[in-house]
Amino acid sequence: MPVETQSATQSVNGASVRSRLLPLGAGRPTIEVLEAGEGAPLVFLHGVGGVPAWTGVLPLLARDYRVYAPLLPGFGQSTGLDLIEDQLDLFFHGFDVLEALGLERPYVVGESMGGWLAAEMAALRPKEIGRLALLAPVGLWRDEAPVADMFGCMTHEMVPYLFHDQSSLPAQQMLALTSLFSEKDDRSEAQIETLIAMVRGLRTAAKFLFPIPENGLERRLSRIKAPTLIVWGAEDRFAAPLYGDIFAAKIPGAKLVKVRHSGHLLALERPEEAAAAVLRFGEGRL
Amino acid sequence: MKFTWFHLMPYRWLPADFRERYHSVWVDLPNRLYDPERGHDLYNEYLDMLEYADQMGFDAIGVNEHHQNAYGMMPSPNLMAAALARRASNAMLMVLGNSIALYNPPVRVAEEFAMLDVISGGRLIAGFPVGTSMDINYCYGQNPATVRDKYREAHDLIIKAWREREPFAWNGKYTKLRYVNLWPQPIQKPHPPIWIPGLGSIETWDFCIEHGYNYSYLSFSGYKRAQKMLDGYWEHMARRGVEQNPYSAAFFQQVCVSETDAECEREWWPHVDYFFNKCLHLYPGTSEAPGYRTEASLRAGVVAQVGNTTGNMGMNKSWKELVDQRYIIAGSPATVRQQLEELARSLRTGHLALGLHIGSAPIELVNRATRLCATEVLPKLRPMFSEYEDRWWPRPLPAERRVQPGSANAASAARTAGNGHEARA
Repeated sequence: MPVETQSATQSVNGASVRSRLLPLGAGRPTIEVLEAGEGAPLVFLHGVGGVPAWTGVLPLLARDYRVYAPLLPGFGQSTGLDLIEDQLDLFFHGFDVLEALGLERPYVVGESMGGWLAAEMAALRPKEIGRLALLAPVGLWRDEAPVADMFGCMTHEMVPYLFHDQSSLPAQQMLALTSLFSEKDDRSEAQIETLIAMVRGLRTAAKFLFPIPENGLERRLSRIKAPTLIVWGAEDRFAAPLYGDIFAAKIPGAKLVKVRHSGHLLALERPEEAAAAVLRFGEGRL
Repeated sequence: MKFTWFHLMPYRWLPADFRERYHSVWVDLPNRLYDPERGHDLYNEYLDMLEYADQMGFDAIGVNEHHQNAYGMMPSPNLMAAALARRASNAMLMVLGNSIALYNPPVRVAEEFAMLDVISGGRLIAGFPVGTSMDINYCYGQNPATVRDKYREAHDLIIKAWREREPFAWNGKYTKLRYVNLWPQPIQKPHPPIWIPGLGSIETWDFCIEHGYNYSYLSFSGYKRAQKMLDGYWEHMARRGVEQNPYSAAFFQQVCVSETDAECEREWWPHVDYFFNKCLHLYPGTSEAPGYRTEASLRAGVVAQVGNTTGNMGMNKSWKELVDQRYIIAGSPATVRQQLEELARSLRTGHLALGLHIGSAPIELVNRATRLCATEVLPKLRPMFSEYEDRWWPRPLPAERRVQPGSANAASAARTAGNGHEARA
């Protein structure tokens, strides 16, 4: 029986965000879960950047839902990546988390890597996901529109791929990480820890998605039974919008929303539009 | 001491504005820059250099493995070693080595190394590098989060394949084989000496100590910057109560030799410049995939700047800086001898791999350096560390039992000439 071992609550943007460690049982990881808001449960599965702050789409979703953001091992304080050997283990890990949180058929929202994980889970156990919203998920491949290589570049070089408006605040924050990659040995302790944390998170992503984030999801999409929403940035240069069309075509009954003036990281660059789509879909109004 | 003549085999014809036009010499450098006809010339010229080193009495000749680059044109070092096995008859063959996690199944490495050992009469040194991240992750698609685990399993399988005399089953995580039954077997028993190239992680030191392997530190930043690393290695051995035998370690050093110090700069600088400023022109975005280094090694590297970071690889340095800081050992035979002796005394490595070719250097320059080194430098250094036993060296068949390539044809022709009816047999 999972026991909560540690809990901390902090106030961010007027919302109360709780962080706790959730052991998933013997031989399984212990993960950090961030939680905020009141209402029906909504599980947010993060992308390769993790959840460094309760910003973007998260506080907006927490206005209407109890939002749970579990962190994969390697992100935040979550540990135990070695206990997840392959993709199948990872999908079962996803269900372990839902079970440990005591959630049945929740609304699952995933962005990019998290969207891929959410789609795989919904295809593997279609009856256990109540509703699904995928924000520019990875997991498909077309030779004519290669998904950008997140593992073969420096962080700041990803900015043009991830954001439509590179002058936006989140884009500028990511550009600021450039200083971590200085050739000089002049990093502060905090910078070193930030750098190592980033590599640790990327290592987790790489374990399941290196070198090409595609492993047959496309042929499994037809198994998904949950009502599904696909949201895509119309100017996504990381994973071209045509992937949104494929997801929408292959998942039975899926709805597709394309957000204008948005790059790949919708949840950061266009949080109002992304949250509005997720919330309206949650009410069955889309 | 023992000396290996080691070749990196760079592509010689990168354009003058290469650094401005291309972001890396590795991984995604378009192969339209490669001219196969020039490649034909280069392979044969480079193999000639290695064969000449054998003739001049070097203890070993060495090759290694890299992929998709203009820095070193040996995706298959075993092909180079096979060519050398038939043409160079005295020197040991150092293949440093095969990136064993790349081969599926890894018994392929066991087979090819066994073939080389048998063809050469037991002269093989078998290197087992993990491989650079550029080679194994970006070029060969290995998962950086699991490749070290895969490497260890491949190692265990290869060793068992060499040792076992009955077929066995291998149920690994990365390789599953119902029947492992190696044909041929290496001549050296239980297997050729194994050398592990590393960049200073304690895990690799322990791996070498526990298995009795040679630890080879391959660096382009010279012996001064290697001091801390090798000191750490010897201290670690002392802590573990292992004999600090100089032959348990090897070091790679770039060396340029001319008749005089002044001539050396004039003759070698264009080729040294080509090496440090073109062959080592790497794009940081594909130099290390996330997870390739363990977190402990990453932390040590970030904090202490130990090892080959782009900052100390020797780019944008003058001849004087490279020589003064000993990135290269360069000068007259007397200068080179004095500095190599200093290197050997300070690092305590009984094995030296010398890079006597560098960058764009042509064979006239290189062969002269090889001759000067063999005749005027090495004889003075060979007696060093003679009080230690070298347990990391091949044990070939005695010379009289080793077949000379071509001798079977010669003997057959002689028999035919001496006895007419054998021709019809």
